[in-house]
Amino acid sequence: MAGASMKDIKLRIRSVESTMQITKAMQLVASSKLRGARARMEASRPYMKVARRAIWDIALHNTGAESHYVIPREVKHRCYIVIAGDRGLAGSYNANMFKRIEWDSRDANCCVIPIGRKAKEYYSRRGVPIITEVEKVEGLSLEKCAEIGQQVLDAYDNGEYEEIVLAYTSFVSVLTQKTKLKPLLPLDAHDAPERTNKQMLCEPDADALLKEFLPQYLAGLIYAAACDSFASEQAARRVAMDSATKNAGEMIEDLSLRYNRARQSSITQELTEIVAGAEH
Amino acid sequence: MALIHLTIVTPEGKHYDADAQRVMVRTTGGDVAILPQHIDYAASLATGEARVTEPDGNVRHAAIDGGILHVASDNVQVITRHFSWKE
Repeated sequence: MAGASMKDIKLRIRSVESTMQITKAMQLVASSKLRGARARMEASRPYMKVARRAIWDIALHNTGAESHYVIPREVKHRCYIVIAGDRGLAGSYNANMFKRIEWDSRDANCCVIPIGRKAKEYYSRRGVPIITEVEKVEGLSLEKCAEIGQQVLDAYDNGEYEEIVLAYTSFVSVLTQKTKLKPLLPLDAHDAPERTNKQMLCEPDADALLKEFLPQYLAGLIYAAACDSFASEQAARRVAMDSATKNAGEMIEDLSLRYNRARQSSITQELTEIVAGAEH
Repeated sequence: MALIHLTIVTPEGKHYDADAQRVMVRTTGGDVAILPQHIDYAASLATGEARVTEPDGNVRHAAIDGGILHVASDNVQVITRHFSWKE
């Protein structure tokens, strides 16, 4: 009896060990990817800041202030650009994003542009209208972002939806990532500078400038958000795999203890049997 | 000597963030040079050459691809899709 359970325990130890090897490897991969992703994320941040300011300055300039890019309308249709992960096993990284959007999207008809395999799978399973999709967040090119930007902008101009929201995960630190919903159009009023009466010269004119620059601006924002999300995904996976590795280690320790105990008790039993046999 | 503060950014990073004597870029309306105390200004950029005169008088050449030029009280921002120095 003791022998059978010893064998069972040994088998379990072996399986936990191989799981631990996998989680350990995934953790290492995530760590090394995180390094690159963080650098890319840091590089993409200044653009956001500078471009946001510039676009508001132009938008608030004369005619631009009344344009539908600035004035919010009643939202009946909303389009979410959802950046989630390419893979699972990243803790609650993907689930957090989907939950947040589900909560946010109660008040309107929604369609999505999923970026990342997990987002695509999630929304096609749920039957949410998908406008276009991108398979991979990793290495998302600026050209692809520009394509998406132009597409949503055209649809927005045609009145297909009244709001475009970019959903991504912002990297705060390796241990903390925050899901964010950033309104792309109409322009986020939080970014608006204070109105001044300062004159600004626009060439050709504010409207034309806005038309020219908006697609690039959207592309830049989507790109930056993708970099941010990818770094977050790697960080989330690193932490999740780190704790999985630790848990596996604990399990192995626990199982070895049980194995040793079982072994000891089987030896004791054998000894007792031998001694009992010798006395007769 | 008065200087402008020039920032050149693309989605992939910051390429210049320092003072400069002047910057010359190609807008859709033609070449424009921005000197200190320029009026607040915005213009759409074409694909073409940019010339940055650094505070020591050294002129650097670069290529830019679209975007906008934004001037707000001596802060000059070149926001473009692609940027690369000639050297």
